[in-house]
Amino acid sequence: MRNRFDEQLLQLNTELLKMGALCEEAISYAVKCLTERKPEMKAYAIETEKMIDHKERDIESLCMKLLMHQQPVATDFRMITSALKMISDMERIGDQAEDIAEIAEYVTNADFQSKVDITDMAETAVKMVMNSIDSYINKNTDIAYSVIAMDDTMDELFIKVKNQLINSVKKGTDNAEALIDMLMIAKYFERIGDHAENVAEWVIFSITGNHNS
Amino acid sequence: MNKKIFRSSLLVALLVLTASFVMMIGILFNYFQLQIEKELKNEAIYISAAIENEGTEYLKNIVNNEKRVTLISADGTVIADTSVEADELENHLDREEIKKALADGHGTSVRYSETLTEKVVYYAELLDDGSILRVSTKQYTVVTVLLGLSQSISVVILLTFILSFILSRRVSKSIVKPINELDLDNPENNNTYEELSPLLSKISSQHKTIEKQLHEAKKQQEEFSLIIENMSDGLLIIDKNMQVLMCNTSAKKLLNASENVNGNVFSVNRSKSFRQSVEKSLGGERFENEMVYDDRHYNIIANPVYEDSEIIGAFIVIIDITDTIQREQMRREFTSNVSHELKTPLTSISGFAEMMMNGGIDEATVKDFSKSIYDEAQRLISLVIDIIRISELDEKSNMFVKEKVDLYELSEEIIERLKPHADKKSIKMNIFGGKAQVYGVRKILDEIIYNLCDNAVKYNNNGGTVDIIVGTTDNETILTVRDNGIGIPKNAQKRVFERFYRVDKSRSKEKGGTGLGLSIVKHGAVFHNAQITLESQINEGTSITLKFPKQ
Repeated sequence: MRNRFDEQLLQLNTELLKMGALCEEAISYAVKCLTERKPEMKAYAIETEKMIDHKERDIESLCMKLLMHQQPVATDFRMITSALKMISDMERIGDQAEDIAEIAEYVTNADFQSKVDITDMAETAVKMVMNSIDSYINKNTDIAYSVIAMDDTMDELFIKVKNQLINSVKKGTDNAEALIDMLMIAKYFERIGDHAENVAEWVIFSITGNHNS
Repeated sequence: MNKKIFRSSLLVALLVLTASFVMMIGILFNYFQLQIEKELKNEAIYISAAIENEGTEYLKNIVNNEKRVTLISADGTVIADTSVEADELENHLDREEIKKALADGHGTSVRYSETLTEKVVYYAELLDDGSILRVSTKQYTVVTVLLGLSQSISVVILLTFILSFILSRRVSKSIVKPINELDLDNPENNNTYEELSPLLSKISSQHKTIEKQLHEAKKQQEEFSLIIENMSDGLLIIDKNMQVLMCNTSAKKLLNASENVNGNVFSVNRSKSFRQSVEKSLGGERFENEMVYDDRHYNIIANPVYEDSEIIGAFIVIIDITDTIQREQMRREFTSNVSHELKTPLTSISGFAEMMMNGGIDEATVKDFSKSIYDEAQRLISLVIDIIRISELDEKSNMFVKEKVDLYELSEEIIERLKPHADKKSIKMNIFGGKAQVYGVRKILDEIIYNLCDNAVKYNNNGGTVDIIVGTTDNETILTVRDNGIGIPKNAQKRVFERFYRVDKSRSKEKGGTGLGLSIVKHGAVFHNAQITLESQINEGTSITLKFPKQ
């Protein structure tokens, strides 16, 4: 019995890792769309997002199966519940990445006169998502805490980008529509950061049993 | 074993105890019987003496519960009896002891009562007057004695049982103890039962065999893991749950994984192509994939591992193919460059020739055209010669003969050769230093210095200088060619040794180079194991130094 359960737990772990990797991929496609001006990446991002949705369903049903058939307790129970919470955050990350990829098309066409630090935000978002997955893989709370700390940087960056965009709007030298799109992208990145932070928090919960919020 | 010895010794003790008990009782009873008979006989003698003295009246005086005395006449009638009235008794002539007494003068007999709990011992004596005196006494039978003594007997039995229990335990323990204390790791060092020594020597020889085999297995294992650890390709083995079973150092390094890899394979790497390989191979398919990671190219070969036609895991090999890909890229570039370089002069040759073919051109123009065709053809020839040289150096052919070459002398020769070119631009060429011998191929060294000096002249301003400095240190021969020409920009400095690379992208023909000069220098330097360094500042000049190691 226990053997079968262990196997299923391993499977859950593997599926979570795959989903995390897909999230990384989706966001890296979105970032490439935006910063490297590769519009063909949009299709990849959309495809990856679909795969993430599928993965979420799969993991969800696997968790349900585990909960009902095995009735786990203590650490195992915590791992499964935090997995359930993590996948919804990861799914959201996938959605935001897709949204960014879709809007990026319009933004890249408009060359901005004024400087916008969106690349920094993109880099931070990618790093946060990667680190949150890393913390899960290595069961490392230090990395998870670093992700939580990074979210503050992300918030600061968002305010900075917002101010830069406000200034450009005031100056009126750039395409206003593109500026608004850019603001949305910045917001999406900021949301991705939040979700990555949530994932990190659930990682900490699954390891220590304490959820800091 | 302990139990068995204990049980059997206990059983033996109890059996012996019981047997000796039974035998003792038998012997004792026999002895008692004899004793009683003797007693009865003595008594009969006393009584008979008394009767003779006092007559039958004596019997009436005897009051004894234990013994019964009967006087019987010769015809069997009871004359007197101490316990029963004589008249009530029947004729005793048929009694065994009376018969014996009548025959032998005395007789004994034993009769058991109906319940077997009592037996009566009779002794009869024939008196002188022909009558018979019989004395009898009751004796307890074995059963009675046993019943009477049952309490004490059971106490004794219990005690002996306990005693034998304890003793046999001790005994069995002491027998087993040396066996338990055997040092099986060194079977031959034991001082124990002789009967065990064949067994021990057998164990000892087996011990040695096992140790030898273990040692061999360990050695093989070590060899295997050494090979695995030191191979440059990464090797990963996973089970069907994607858990890492083995991961060598190269794999960790190539995939940029943390030092202690365990658990899921995706903790090693989770890039798309790697995931694909893992999944496909666990799906039962041999899968080859290319992966780009950190600007390096890897080939991932994943093979499923079967056991009884069931997939139990996968075997993943990661090969770094960055160099191969780079080389391929270079070769591709070289080919396209060569074709391009060859095409340009050929196009103009063909153009001039076409115009001349169509006619209607005056003689002066024909001459002019012919000169252009000649120049382009010369250019083609020098290009082809350079390409041939490079491919020769590329193949590191053994056709070259090594000899001692004096770089100073060689440089002087080259200056002489380049003098016409230098004079055209009024460039001054100087040589410093002295004799510096290098063991190498004269032709290649010549090309190296010629190309360096040629470049120094070509890419120099009018009235500039070219300095050649030749010298030796303890373990190196150093040659430096320095000019104060146009210099090489920083970003191009790394690439000038590449084939057909030119700082001046327009590839203008005015300088007349093939774009292969420095590439030939570099190949020549590599051929001589020389180290090449370039220092350049734009508009200030360039200095290229070659350091030849001394053999």
